Amino acid sequence: MPNIDGEDDYCISVSNLRKKYGKNNPYAVNDITFDVKYGTVFGFLGPNGAGKTTTVKILTTLLKPTSGTVHIFGRQLLKNQSEIKKRIGVVSQNPSFETNLTVEKALDLYGILWRIRDKQIRKNKINEILNTFDLGSIKSVKNDELSIGQRRRVQVAREFIHELDLLFLDEPTVGLDPSARRLLLDYIKSQVKSGLTVFFTTHIMEEAEYLCDQIAIIDKGKIIAFDTPSGLKQKYGKGNKTVELTFNDVPDKLFIDHLRNIVNMRRSYKDATEATSHVGFNGVHTVTIIDDNVEQIISEVLQLVYKNGLQLENISINPPSLEEVFLAVINKNDYSKDSEVSP
Amino acid sequence: MSLVNNTLLLVYRNFVAAVDKTFLIWMVAFPVVYIFIVGYAYSTLIGDRGISVGSITVTYTSFLTSGVIGFNAMNGSSAVAGGIVWNDKRNGMLQQLLVMQFSKVQYIVGNLITIILVGLISAALIMIIGFPTMYRNVNITLWSLPYIIYALAMGSVFFGSFTIILSTKIKSSEAHSVINNGLFLFFTFVSSAFYPAQGLPTPLAIAFYLNPLTYIVDISRAGIFSQITTFTNIQVLILGAISVAVFVIATRSMVNMKV
Repeated sequence: MPNIDGEDDYCISVSNLRKKYGKNNPYAVNDITFDVKYGTVFGFLGPNGAGKTTTVKILTTLLKPTSGTVHIFGRQLLKNQSEIKKRIGVVSQNPSFETNLTVEKALDLYGILWRIRDKQIRKNKINEILNTFDLGSIKSVKNDELSIGQRRRVQVAREFIHELDLLFLDEPTVGLDPSARRLLLDYIKSQVKSGLTVFFTTHIMEEAEYLCDQIAIIDKGKIIAFDTPSGLKQKYGKGNKTVELTFNDVPDKLFIDHLRNIVNMRRSYKDATEATSHVGFNGVHTVTIIDDNVEQIISEVLQLVYKNGLQLENISINPPSLEEVFLAVINKNDYSKDSEVSP
Repeated sequence: MSLVNNTLLLVYRNFVAAVDKTFLIWMVAFPVVYIFIVGYAYSTLIGDRGISVGSITVTYTSFLTSGVIGFNAMNGSSAVAGGIVWNDKRNGMLQQLLVMQFSKVQYIVGNLITIILVGLISAALIMIIGFPTMYRNVNITLWSLPYIIYALAMGSVFFGSFTIILSTKIKSSEAHSVINNGLFLFFTFVSSAFYPAQGLPTPLAIAFYLNPLTYIVDISRAGIFSQITTFTNIQVLILGAISVAVFVIATRSMVNMKV
């Protein structure tokens, strides 16, 4: 269990970590520092090629860092690999399976490799996993014959055959259907409640929002945002909300132009770089308005709707999603990078 | 201690993951066809002349069975080594094992032990099955037994390592299959497993002695019939040297495998 003698408050402590592949290449991971508390889910998000998998590979001992230090369970990773590896589980981004074995036999072999010597204990554990992950119906099917989603479920499930304190999940829900995905996320949540720490990478922001206690966003090898999901929304969502207006009839162009004028009037009061207000029209029945103070403009919008004789079928006001925040953070990083290199 | 335990666990894993019923049937059926069909069919062509091995003359079926023992060591070790490394690379199990408590050194040593064991077991199976065809000529002594074991073990190391190198370098399944089949066709038939090297046209004889299977078969055959000569000892040295060299290259290939 975590926090045994000699271990500090953090399950993972990463300090000034860098990784370069080859002399002439840029840093894949460039001076990142973060801590992960015990019993939490740490989301590590970023676009493709941002450095997520390289970081996971360093933390799971597959790669050696170019510089920087990593402590896991309070122990230096490079010096205590075998001790640390006994207490972690890893679900890699790529599939991994024993081709010729059935699901049940593969789980049994995995249990043996984790040194669960007692056959009965292994059997009980396998049955528990088969039930929890709804794998009972495919237990006699060879891994080679499974669908991608089924294989993925087995890959995640097998990690729970041994006692672990830290689980690395590198895009674990790729290929899973919605119900299998929810089953997995809920199971992880329950395990976290029992003390498990999870390092989680994903491209699906709803998952990150649902599961993570803290989120770091990495881009071009650097961590560019780090907070709780709600903290990120506060910081980078600028309090924006989305108003979605659904009409019975398709609104005309003039109405949309008037609406844009209302929003643009508010924009003109702000610093141009701060302005995030936006009117979107899908060309059919729905108009979306993104603004940091929709309450203030909503009466003007409704008056305009009334004046144009339009009938509203539905109106909804939503806080910014993590996806919007993610895009805002990445775009801002691209913008500032471009500014740096521009003459 | 943990190094030994981990290595043994990996050997066990290799056997469970790579040796299935189909593999075992293939390992036995294939050589049995050679011994009992090819052996007796060719015997009718050769007649009662027999084949010279050192200072004695043995029946063609004895000659063939003693050759198929070495052939099966090659067949078993290369099939299992290629299968393990190819599948582990392709199906992500190498990476998974390395994030568990296993190291690359343990993985390599585990594969080496598996290769040798599979080679020896494959050879032993043929020794047992083919014994009735050669019992009149067999003369294994305490002095000749180590030669047999050495030839089969070193041969397994050579062919296992050779297949590992192919598995780590080749990218597509099709290329893997074509190159493996092509090379093993050469290794199998341009060797002394099926016919003696003596009396062959010079270019073919040279090709025979460029093939490690010839050394494996010659040494193990000399051991089985107790016909060890100075030339056998030279073959022992050559086989040892090339097996170690190929194993070193295979180890480097495995160390450099991207995970």
